[in-house]
Order: sequence, then structure tokens, then C-alpha cells
Amino acid sequence: MGITTSPGVSAKKRPWRVTFKKQWQLYLMSFPMLFYLLLFAYVPLLGWVMAFQEFRPRFGLSPIGQVMSNKWVGLENFKTLLDNSTILGQRFLQSVVNTLGQSLLILVLGFFLTIMLSLLLNELRQTGVKRFVQNVLYLPHFLSWVIVAMLASTALSLPGSGGFLNDFLMKVHIIDRPIQFLADPGYFWGIVAGTHLWKNLGWNTIIYMAAMTSIDPNLYEAASIDGANRYQKMWHVTLASIRPTIVLLLIINIGMLLTSGFEIQWLLGQGVNIVRSENIDVFVLRYGIKMGNFSLATAAGILRTVVSIILLTGSNFVARSLKQETLF
Amino acid sequence: MKRTLLTAFLSVILSTVLFASGADEAKGAKGNGEPHVFSPDNPVTIDAWIVTSQTAPSPDNKISKLLKERLGVTLNYDITTPDQQLDRIGIMLAAGTIPELVGSTDQNARLVQGGAMLRLDDYLDSGRWPLLAEHVRPVRKKLTWTGGGVEDGLYQFPNYNRFYGNPPIMSPIHWGSAFWIQKDVLAFHNYPSLENMTLERYFDLIESYMKANPTIDGAKTIGFSFPMQGRVWGLTNPPLFLAGYPNDGGVMVDDGQAKIYANSKYAYDYFKFLNMAHDRGLVDPESFTQTLDQYLAKVASGRVLGVHDQRWSFGTANDALVANGQYERTYAATMPVFPGKKPYYADRDVLNINQGFGIASNAENPELLLDFLEIMLTPELQTILSWGIEGEDYLVDENGLFYKTQEMRDNFNNLTWKQDNRLEALLDIMVKRQGELPGGNAFAAGDQPGEFFDSLKQYDKDFLAAYGLKTWRQFVNDPPPNPAHYPAWQISPPDGSAAQVANQQLEDAAQRYLSEAVLTSPARFDSVWNEYMAAIDSIDVAAYEAVITEGVQARIRAAGGE
Repeated sequence: MGITTSPGVSAKKRPWRVTFKKQWQLYLMSFPMLFYLLLFAYVPLLGWVMAFQEFRPRFGLSPIGQVMSNKWVGLENFKTLLDNSTILGQRFLQSVVNTLGQSLLILVLGFFLTIMLSLLLNELRQTGVKRFVQNVLYLPHFLSWVIVAMLASTALSLPGSGGFLNDFLMKVHIIDRPIQFLADPGYFWGIVAGTHLWKNLGWNTIIYMAAMTSIDPNLYEAASIDGANRYQKMWHVTLASIRPTIVLLLIINIGMLLTSGFEIQWLLGQGVNIVRSENIDVFVLRYGIKMGNFSLATAAGILRTVVSIILLTGSNFVARSLKQETLF
Repeated sequence: MKRTLLTAFLSVILSTVLFASGADEAKGAKGNGEPHVFSPDNPVTIDAWIVTSQTAPSPDNKISKLLKERLGVTLNYDITTPDQQLDRIGIMLAAGTIPELVGSTDQNARLVQGGAMLRLDDYLDSGRWPLLAEHVRPVRKKLTWTGGGVEDGLYQFPNYNRFYGNPPIMSPIHWGSAFWIQKDVLAFHNYPSLENMTLERYFDLIESYMKANPTIDGAKTIGFSFPMQGRVWGLTNPPLFLAGYPNDGGVMVDDGQAKIYANSKYAYDYFKFLNMAHDRGLVDPESFTQTLDQYLAKVASGRVLGVHDQRWSFGTANDALVANGQYERTYAATMPVFPGKKPYYADRDVLNINQGFGIASNAENPELLLDFLEIMLTPELQTILSWGIEGEDYLVDENGLFYKTQEMRDNFNNLTWKQDNRLEALLDIMVKRQGELPGGNAFAAGDQPGEFFDSLKQYDKDFLAAYGLKTWRQFVNDPPPNPAHYPAWQISPPDGSAAQVANQQLEDAAQRYLSEAVLTSPARFDSVWNEYMAAIDSIDVAAYEAVITEGVQARIRAAGGE
């Protein structure tokens, strides 16, 4: 997982063994992390065999024993998921649409708003005020999703149950009848995006803020001498300088488009809004794990991983051909 | 060189810290063929997994102390709420780790099928545990797991409704389904007759009360609600009862054939009615979006006039109302039916199957765990679990009958007191001598005839007197013997079957379309209903009905063979 941010610095070709002898302590230091990755990121991939089986867990068997004791079914589970003529297939494909819709909304809104917020914070001159505002913005990140879901559920409920959003909208005469936000599927993507932004917007500014602090102050001075006003400096110096960070984060986030979170959809999702709330994670839990159908759950997971890899390499390729910073 | 060594040293430390794992502590005495002698000199610790909505006891609980001081037993509780149960079961099966004493309530008995539970038949036949053997003897056939995955046999001791006594002392409370109505609503209408109840009359009673009392304790009055999250039957079951059928779950059973009723005329009539009731402002629209906790909190606030629910399901809300002294906000059962139908809301208490304590198949010392269950089934400990400690929690009269003072009764209604003085989570899943304890006492204080009448508050006494009735059970029908197949809801389609998927989809479709059908304007009801019918048509209903019918037939055959 090397991030190549400085092209052109190439080490002299040396035999591998010489390098190792010189730096063996460094290799030793990296070993725990390497081992961690192998153990928790690669070894679990062996579990993918479940997708090609009719898998029933047997208590007390070794992992290999578990695999050997089950029936092989080939691509049956994938066919079930992708078959648009069955209800199960329709449900899965709908959950893919919901996942993409929800996370695109989070990504697009989150992307612009985070950068804007970072810029605004960066322009704050009084350190005390800046610290205070930052701390206030970070706080929601530390709330658990269960609490956020309960807050959202109360805020969005009818006025009689503490729904202050309805109260507010009615007071300012935007609506004249309270809206049951959670009963209308049309609002659900917005609710997902809204809660994610509320919780993580402040926290996500940290990386951009860090990138901004490393900008050479001479650039601002030079821009001032050239007669740039504050907005021009924001555009031509600040934003231009953090462009590599922006592009990298964008690529990483695109790779995670098929993950739109789980908790808020699970906690606020009900039968009445299921058409827009059920994303891949919820589908997997409901039709896979809750029903003891681990094979279907694994197959859905594999499909998601494959699409994610395509999205990630695709966006990386686009970035490279636009001569932007790339992940690999 | 020094730096090199230091770096190497740090790397090793780091690795060790990251991957160190603690060794498991050995515990419990090894079984040696002789029953374990429970005494404080011979302490044992038992890990118990319990699925219940009751909370864990406080650390210095009185009964926990008693078990420790008298039996030397310390219980490590691991409590899972029913809605989280399947997640835990999946993890337990896959990981191969499970507490030794397993108290699950999963109808599909996935732990049994997955081989995580111990087959108890040989143990019971050994004669070492006479009380447990007697406990299951009359109902052994019903309890025997035959769903495959493992050898047929007994894997769990039922937690409810194995009755002792001839005849058993039955609860004066109806714990099942009804259209419940707040007592104050009936008092407001001067205790109208509840015979020949109809939906129209039920909602009319609520509507006129609501007009007179737009708020209760400062909060907006709610006409009608029901549980939905995890208890979708709160929404879907009424057509069954309205049509005069007993609670068979998602199907109506006629002549041994199971048929879903979600697409029946009864369902159409009920939801059409509910849609209009919503239009009249009588149905809480949040019923469809709220969590179970939010629903229970509303009921506990005393501002919900009517619910369709099962009495046990809103038990905690009822307890809270009683604890607050709001007796007029607690509920009485009514049984609306469609014209020409006879109400069959109440059934004979049904033995729980696939629910209760069993033993993990990898338990180190299953004999000890059975010894523990055996001693807990002795009348002495049963009395302590259910009634408490003599002199402190109850008194005994000259005839040997238990009774309580008012203070003792108040304690039993006090939620915080109960955490310190009762083991409600354990009791919920434990084997119980329901029906009768030796000496002619009822198992539960609330079931003791004398105690029931003495403990009634004046409000409830007057309320019962106004109806000329003696118990809450008399508000519902006197149930005939249950049909041989009954109840069909205990028949669960096997994991991964088309029937199981169909069942889930029927539930999902019901939640989605019925929510919309009720909440929409009356003019649009029919078009939403037609969408719902189309959705049901696309589901493999036949597979579901076939599996349930097969189960019904098997039960009828088994009953005939006895």
C-alpha cells in the first residue's frame, strides 16, 4: 500500500539482499503490520468458498472440516442474486441501487461541503475561536450510530412526539401539514446523507486542514505582492496546493461507493421505507445471516468487492490519464 | 549497534503485544458419576446465555447472594434481547464458542440443527435427574426435535407452560391477543357490554373518548396502535381473529390445510377499515415507523387508548403503568369479530417448544449443569425464584397458603426493587413448576387465587365488579381444547428453503404495502391494495403453504397415534 506522491526519485538499483542486510530492522518492524494484514485481510478471503456451496455451519468443526462437509453448488448463489425475474434478485439489485444512491449522495455532498468547511476554518484568524469551532464540529463524530439514529428518528417524527423539524418547518410556513419523513421512502436517501454529514463533516476536515497547514506561507506572501485578494488566494494558493490530497481522497472514496454504512439503514429502515432504505449490508443481514444463509451473504459480498475493485482501478486510471495524483 | 538492537527489541515487543492471547481459565468441577453436592465449600461458576427482554440483575442481587451462599453457585449472565438473537446464534455457530448453559428461544432451533446443543435423552434416562425427567415426561414427544441436522431427540427444557397440579392453577390474566382498550375508556362510557364486539364499536368507543380527552397528562392522545418492529403480527394478525380463527400465525387452518389469509377478503375488510380509521385520526401513523421501544414507551405513557397486541408483548409497559399507579390507563381485553363469527382469541396455554435451557455440546461438564437445573427445579428453589424469601417477600397462613402484605406487593411492582431482589432474566428461561407448587400454592404470586383478589387495587375491584367478572381471563372466550395441529406458528420452514424465503417476503410485502394502504387517502386504498395483491402473487406462496400444511399433517398424525 505505497502512496506515490513524489515521482522521479528513483533509488539506485541494488541487489535485494544487500538492501535487506542494511535495513533488516526496518523489515522486522514492518512485520507485525504485514502479519496483521495477512491474517485479517487475506486469510478471511478463504471463506469465499462458502459462496460456491450450500453452506450450513456445523458447531465445533475446524474451518476446513466446515468446508468439506458442505454441498458444492457452483454459481447457483450468484445466479439467484442477479436473476431479475425472482423477487430475491429484484431485492438484491434494488439494494445495489440504494447503496449507490445513498453513497453517491454522501460522496458528492460530503466532498464539496468538507472542502468548503475546511477552507472556511482555514480562513479563521483567531486561534481561540478556530479551536472552539473545530472541537464543536468534531464532537458528533464520537456519538455512536445508535444515538444518532434515535436523535434523527425523534427529530423527524411528528410534532407530538418531539419532531422539532416538523415544528420548525411549520413555524416558518414551508409546510402546512407535518410530514412523516420516515414513512415516505422518497426521503430516505436524504436522511442517510444528512445523518452522515451531521456526524462526520467536521471530522473529515481534519485531513484537509492538515494538508493546508503544510502550505508554504511564502506562496501567500507572493500572491499578496501580485495583488491577489483573499478569495483569489483561497482559489489559487490553498485549493491548488491541496489538490493532490483532494484527488487521492476522491479515488479512495469512489472505491468505497458500494459501502453506504449500515447502522442508520438498519435502525431507521422499516417495512414502509424498505424500497429506499435496504442497502447491500442490510440485505445481506436480512436474507443471508438472519436466515442462516451464509452462502448467499458471501456471494453478495463477493459481487460487491468485485465492483469496488473495478470502481477503484477505474477512477485511478482516469486520474492518471488526467495527469493527476494516483493511488497506485 | 545499540540502536539496531533497540529497534529489534521494540519490534519483538510490538509483535507480542499485538498477538498475545490470554489462556482460558479452567473452571467447574469434573463430573464423576455422583451428583454434584451444591454447597458454599464447593463453589462453581456457570456461564449462562439467556435470550430475554428482562434486564440482568444488579450485582448485589439478594437471590444471587442466596444462590452463592447456599449452593456455592455463581452465574455469569450473558443476556441477549430477542431481536438480536439470530445474529448471536450465527456467530456462535461459526466461531464454535458458546456459553455452557444455553437459554435460546429460536423457533428454528438453529443451535440444535448446527450441532451446538447436547442431546439430553441418554442423560435423562440414566435416572440421575428425576425431577427433570418427570418435568418432560408427559410432553416428551412434543419436545423431541425431529427437524433434521442432528439425531432426533430432546435438546431443550421448555421454559413455559408445562403445568403441574390436577387441575393446574391457571393464570387469572389473559396473556394472548386481543384488541386491548384502556379501562378509563370503558369507564367513560359507563362500562358498556363487551359482548358481540365489532371493529366499528371498538373504534367508536375510542373516538368519542378521544374527542372528550384530546390530551392525556399534557401529551396528545393516541387512538390506536400496535407493535411492528420484530412483531409484525401486531399489524398482520387481526384478520385471523376477526374471522373467528385461533392464533395460527400467518395461516388459517381448515381441515388440516394451511392457507395464508394476507390476500383474503378478511384482510381486505380489516385494512380498509383501518385506513378509514386512520383518516378519522384514530390510528397513530407512527406505528409504522417507530421502534419497539418507542411503541412501548408510548403505551407506558398512558396516552394510547387501544392496541392490538399480545398481553405479554406489552408487559413491561403495563408494569410501568401499574408502578405509576395509573390503573385507569391499563387495559381490558375486547374481542371484535366480523358479523356472524364467533371470537376465538384465547386458546389453551401452549407448551413452548424450541425455547428454554439446553446444554452446549462442548460443555466441559454437562452433568454439573444438569445437576444445577435439577436443584433449581426443587419446590424449595422454585418458590424462592418465583415468590422470594419467606418472611421478607411473602408470608404463609395457617393453611400453608402463601400471601403478601401490601408493601410486598408494591415491591414486586417496583422495577428497581426487582433488579435488586429478583432474578427475572433467569426465571424467564428457567424450567418452571407452573400450575401448582406443593402445598396447593400457585407458581406465580399473581396466579394465587386469594392473592389475586387481595392484591387488586380498589380501581380494578370496582372495574371487575362493574362487569360482574372475577378475573381478567373472563374478558375473553373460554377456550375449547386446542386442535391437534395447534399452533401452526410453531412450525418454522427450514433455513434456506423456498418456503422460508417466501415467508420473509410475505412479511416484507405486508410491512411495505399495508403501511402505505393504511396511511394513504381512502380514495387510493384500492389501488395500493391491488399492488399488494400483485406482490403476493409474485411470491412462492404455494411452497410456504405446503411446508406448513405438511407440519400440520404431521402433528395431526402424531396426535392420532398417541
